[in-house]
Amino acid sequence: MALDVGKLATQMLSAALPLLKKHAADAESFAKTEFTKIAQTIVSIGEQVAASQINQQQAGLLLDMQTSASRNVLLTLKGLALLAVEEAINAGLAVVKTAVNEALGFALIA
Amino acid sequence: MQRTHLQLQKRTSVMARIAALVFAALLLASCAVRFIGDYDDTIDKGVTDIQQKAELYLSKLQSSPNTPYDQDFYDDINSRLAVLKSRASSLPKYPIVVEQLTNLKSQFDTLQKLDKGSARPFPSAAATDAESAIAISVESILKLELALKARGNATPPSLTRTSK
Repeated sequence: MALDVGKLATQMLSAALPLLKKHAADAESFAKTEFTKIAQTIVSIGEQVAASQINQQQAGLLLDMQTSASRNVLLTLKGLALLAVEEAINAGLAVVKTAVNEALGFALIA
Repeated sequence: MQRTHLQLQKRTSVMARIAALVFAALLLASCAVRFIGDYDDTIDKGVTDIQQKAELYLSKLQSSPNTPYDQDFYDDINSRLAVLKSRASSLPKYPIVVEQLTNLKSQFDTLQKLDKGSARPFPSAAATDAESAIAISVESILKLELALKARGNATPPSLTRTSK
């Protein structure tokens, strides 16, 4: 049986796309939760300065900590994106494996 | 002579086909991708442990704002973070976690400046805000680690083994 390029491409996309969408939804949920917390804390810092509970230097240090927290959230999103792409590509390769083995008539790729 | 020539041609053709198949299979086998390293239990537990210590210290500051600055706390946290960062640096495809641990260390350095430089009673809301920032960093690292754990040991496609 010969390999059909169009059919193979559609099958690979069908394998990869749901994974990308699932991971995107998960990443969005995480990002929304964490950035909401950061935003709330930044507002809190402003209120403390306004109420003279902390001085500007203390506020600056607290904001630095929030900046580092934001960076870590973004780094996690980067990591999750890499995972999502990895999974999608490997799902596509698995489709290729099946198609090649069927075309050859024996399991060349495990 | 003609027969020998034909046999040679046939053998060359078969060898060429086998070579082409092997090449194609190698190409496909090497296409399996891994963009990020594996889950690490030591980093998972280590970061969780650091958060627990931070929560305890900051809770104490909130409930007893006159609690004095404690250098031992920061020395302990710094040594734990140094060990975790060394470990992360030695793991393959782990630059993201290395950077996250660097940011977490930066947060504790900043907290140390804040703690050391603040008169007592320590502002309660500031302790809460610091706690929140550290918690978010820890949650971020753990979120990624748990996603790596969920990926598990799924094996990408590879060449069939011919003998066991």
